[in-house]
Amino acid sequence: MPSQPTSQKQAPPPWRQGLTAGLQRGKPLIWFLLKTILPLYVATEIFKVTGLLSWISGFLAPVMGLWGLPPEAAAALTAGFLLNLYAAAAVAAPLGLDWAQVSVLGLILGISHSLVVEGAVVRSLAPGRLWSLTALRLGLGLGAGWALAQILPAVSA
Amino acid sequence: MSQYLALLPTAAWDGLILCAQIFAIVLPLMIAYEVAKAYGLFARPWKGVGPALARLGLGPGAMVPLLAGIFLGLLYGAGILLAMSREDNLSHRERLALAVFLVTCHAVVEDTAIFMLLGGSAFWMLAPRLVLAVALTAWLARRSSGE
Repeated sequence: MPSQPTSQKQAPPPWRQGLTAGLQRGKPLIWFLLKTILPLYVATEIFKVTGLLSWISGFLAPVMGLWGLPPEAAAALTAGFLLNLYAAAAVAAPLGLDWAQVSVLGLILGISHSLVVEGAVVRSLAPGRLWSLTALRLGLGLGAGWALAQILPAVSA
Repeated sequence: MSQYLALLPTAAWDGLILCAQIFAIVLPLMIAYEVAKAYGLFARPWKGVGPALARLGLGPGAMVPLLAGIFLGLLYGAGILLAMSREDNLSHRERLALAVFLVTCHAVVEDTAIFMLLGGSAFWMLAPRLVLAVALTAWLARRSSGE
């Protein structure tokens, strides 16, 4: 075929360029996962057995009333902060919370969850701001949850 | 101490599975993004989005990472977030604005769905996050532009 040599010199079609560029991102992604996410995940698994979770929820339990929540909800909150939302939901499910209490818990944890593993992404996105941004999440989450706990009973009444 | 060591292999294996899951979800997303970009989808900022982003202290280059974070979350959006914030040369200020918005409000579908299953109100769990994220980022943008 006479036209073949010239067509080979042309730039590849856009979809091929995109495919190549996308695949090239695979390697740094694997490194980010293995070097950062994997060790942090293992660390959070260790939290579960070291008693760190119950130690922290011991401090939160007496003040859970501020958010209209029973003391046992402290364990759900701590699991959400340090592990993830699925762990928090698993702890919260048997507590028999009403819709307003679940909404308060969901709002606090929606803003402030998986602080360890997601912290890796935050640190890469805004270098040097990890601690202030984590404090912001905790403060905003607990603050917004408190406000919601004051509002919701009035709204639903 | 030994019971912690015994836990390590299981934890490492579960962690590897999580990493594989993230990779399986994120790589196709990155390829889809690159293909869309190769066809010029992001060459110009979409109509109406530019001014809205500007109020948050974000340039047009922040649109894709912002959407990735809001819908995919920090972890599944991480590939796009980190690659974009580097490649598109987002300024230091833009990256901070992006971070402040997204730590407050990300993975809106997944996070809300989990607690809806327990009986929570989608509106009361989502609306405050969105309002806080917009208000905080806009406040930050006004404050730093006023300096």
